[in-house]
Order: sequence, then C-alpha cells, then structure tokens
Amino acid sequence: MIEAAGQPVEGLDVADATNPIKQFEIHPVFNFDLNGIDLSFTNSSYFMVLSAVLVTGLLWMAMGRAALVPGRAQSVAEMLYEFVAGMIRSTTGNEGLRFFPLVFTLFTFILMGNMLGMFPYFPAPGFHGFTFTSHIIVTFALAMIVILTVMGFGIYKHGLKFFSFLFPAGVPWPLYVLLTPIELISFISRPITLGVRLFANMLAGHILLKVFAGFVVMLGAAGGGLAIAGILPFAMAVALTSLEFLVAFLQAYVFAVLTCIYLNDALHPGH
Amino acid sequence: MPKPPSEDDTDFERRLNAKLAARRAEDAKRNASPNGWALGMRYGTEFAAGVLVGAALGYGADRLFGWSPFGILAGVLLGFAAGTLNVVRAAAEVNAGQSGESSDKPQ
Repeated sequence: MIEAAGQPVEGLDVADATNPIKQFEIHPVFNFDLNGIDLSFTNSSYFMVLSAVLVTGLLWMAMGRAALVPGRAQSVAEMLYEFVAGMIRSTTGNEGLRFFPLVFTLFTFILMGNMLGMFPYFPAPGFHGFTFTSHIIVTFALAMIVILTVMGFGIYKHGLKFFSFLFPAGVPWPLYVLLTPIELISFISRPITLGVRLFANMLAGHILLKVFAGFVVMLGAAGGGLAIAGILPFAMAVALTSLEFLVAFLQAYVFAVLTCIYLNDALHPGH
Repeated sequence: MPKPPSEDDTDFERRLNAKLAARRAEDAKRNASPNGWALGMRYGTEFAAGVLVGAALGYGADRLFGWSPFGILAGVLLGFAAGTLNVVRAAAEVNAGQSGESSDKPQ
C-alpha cells in the first residue's frame, strides 16, 4: 500500500468511499459564533433551507397560473393537498383541518428532506448529499413541535380536563397509583417514538445502501474475478435504492399520520 | 332478446375473475411488504421508548431523591407496562385503519 507515492492517497479514497457513516458528517458552511454557542450554518442547515425553499417554490410555481382545468404541475399540487387533507379528515374529522398548515408543512418538509437525501451527489457544500432526517436531533425537534402543539392546544381547549388521560375512566381509584405513572410514561414516550422512528429508518436505510455500494467499490478495487462478483452487491444496491425511495415517502407519511392521531387526542381527550 | 349465457360468456367471466384475483393478490403483496417493515418498526419503537422513558424517569428519581436502586427498578417495570400499553394502542390504531380500508376484501 505504501510503496508508491500515489498509492496511500488512493487507499484513503477507497476507505473514504466505503465508509458507511461518512455521509452523516456535519460540516460548517460558514461559521457563526454567538457568545460561545456554535450556531454555524452547516450542510444540514443548507439542506433544511433548501427543502423549505424547494417545497415553497415548487408549490408556488405549480399554483402560479391556477386554472380551472389544472395542468400537470397543478394536478400534482392539488393531489398533495387532497392527500394531506384526506388524511387529517379521516383521523381527526373536519375540525382537525385547522391544523392543516402544520401537518402539510411537516409532511412536505420531511418528504422533501428524505428525497433530497436520495441524491448521492448534490450541488451542495462538499458536493455530497445529506439527509437531515437521519439526525435524531432534527427528528426529535420536529416531534417536539408536534407534542408541544398537542399539549398547548389541549390545555387551551380543555383546560385541566386535558390531563384526564392520566386517569383512565372505569377503574377503581387505588389502581391510579399504578396506572397514572404508566399513562404518564406512555405519554412522554410519544415524541421519542415519533422522532426515533423517522431517524432510525433513514439512518438504517442509508447505512445499508452505503454498505452495499461500498462492497462494489471494494470488489472493483480487488480486480480480476472479484470485480465481476461486484455485480451482486451492485444489483442489491439498485434494489435497495428503490426500497429507500419507498421508505422516504412512507416515513414522511407515517410521521404525518401520527401527528394527526396525536392532534386527535388534543381535540377529543379521553378516548 | 335475452340470450342464455353461452359457453363464451362464462368463459369470459372465469378469465376476468382469474385476472382480477391475480391483480388483487399482487396489490396485496405490494401493500403488505412495506407495511410489514413499517409496522414492525412502529411496534418496536413504541415498546422500546416506553421502557427507556420509564428507566430514565426511575434513574432521575434515584438521583434526585436518593432512592437507589428502587427508583430505576420501579421505573423499568412501569416502563415495561407503558411500552406494552403503547404497543396495544398502536395495534388498535392499525387495526382500526385497516378494517376501514379493506372492508371490501373477502375475509
């Protein structure tokens, strides 16, 4: 490996190219320091801004010439609207539609983030793709937005009655010693399940994809008959890519559906 | 004039039904495989989060009130119960969603 001058660099490149978790590294794009707090604009921030801009821009363009008989772009935008509205209606009823902006924003933001993460290379700083939903702090923050909205709205709408979920009805009162902590833990675990599920799916999928893609590079570097065997992990990587597109959509959908279910609890407590 | 069902008609019905059944089976398979993965993930995280939150609360109580080790013991047990409750609720939600969706399917 170290005999020729060019070799170590090449070896490093292969190691870099096959490192399955390098894709999750965060690099500052430009540094910003606020009294010792690192608030740098990172590649993660870049993709979040890009996701928000793309969703807004594409919808703007699609609805720019709103026609009675919709064109292609307008149909897609309307389908997206109907999809989210239908989801809210079926889980919370019509009164849940006041949360339409929240659910629609979350759904499109996560969906666009997941889909942007499917680009292996991207016109971004460092030229490599990044999936911001594969970082638990991002998904957890999104989950906290949902749960705090649910709690805030529930308390605003129902006052202390919102906390009746801690005391399930139809139970002899001594059991509350046991049931109230259980319900409390169950409630606190909600934002965690919401955040962890999105994060774990995106992380696991991208690592798996990169591991198989890495096998292709390794086998190709080995040369000879092994290079031909590289077709097998390549086929796997192709199959996994399509699966990942499905997961990218499905997880955005699951996040939005669970948001609706939790909002339903705030609208109708005691179910 | 109403024609009695000829050999041709029943043959058509039969072929149509066979095609429809094949199509439905394919659809069901396509719908089932991603749902299975998502479902497993859902139940898994629901349960794990319950236990983790219970353990964290118990550990916090230990640290705050010096109940060690009983805080974390009680916390893990309650967390286990909460995780089970989460899974049962998730299953109920999933079943409710499916019965509304697939009511037209024979079963």
